[in-house]
Amino acid sequence: MKKRKNFKKKSNNSSFQKLSLFQKPDMKFFKSCPLSGKNAPVLDYKNIKVLKKYLSESGRILPSRVTSVSFNKQRELAISIKRARLLGLI
Amino acid sequence: MSCYELTFITKQDLQESQNQKILIKYQEIIKNNSGKIIKTEEWGLKGFAKQIKKHKRGFYFHIKFEGAGSAVKELEKAQNIDEALIRSLTIKVKKHDLENNYFEKKDI
Repeated sequence: MKKRKNFKKKSNNSSFQKLSLFQKPDMKFFKSCPLSGKNAPVLDYKNIKVLKKYLSESGRILPSRVTSVSFNKQRELAISIKRARLLGLI
Repeated sequence: MSCYELTFITKQDLQESQNQKILIKYQEIIKNNSGKIIKTEEWGLKGFAKQIKKHKRGFYFHIKFEGAGSAVKELEKAQNIDEALIRSLTIKVKKHDLENNYFEKKDI
């Protein structure tokens, strides 16, 4: 019986929440940047293992809307990929 | 004084004694221009991802040093004339990363 009561309350609340514009969504739509944060890998032209994750099969740089890398890190990544290309590493 | 990293590639058909001479030559250019060498790495013979100036393989050398900007100018002057080099790259870094060596030589 107790369970039923709780269920009713929740259903009442949710109908109001759906109407509000400033309600936070339950699902996450955006991934956080994989290169910024505490345990993020170091971006360097010598660190080829990390750089290869952000290249397509033909060796082009993937756009940040696919990989969800932040704007600042995407700029660093592009510089370090171009340096590695100059030395013939990638 | 700021930190720099220098990597250069020499041709494949050179012998070890010739390679060591080239290394010493660039180390002395840094020392003569009031620079200080912190670490040198030899990555050994590596294949390129694609052909560079009709070469397929080359010896890689890596030097980490501190110094003024005039040392870099002198280095680039010498590198442009040198025929034994295939390519070279000098970059400025905020701090030297001495912990990890990404191209460690494997002992056979």
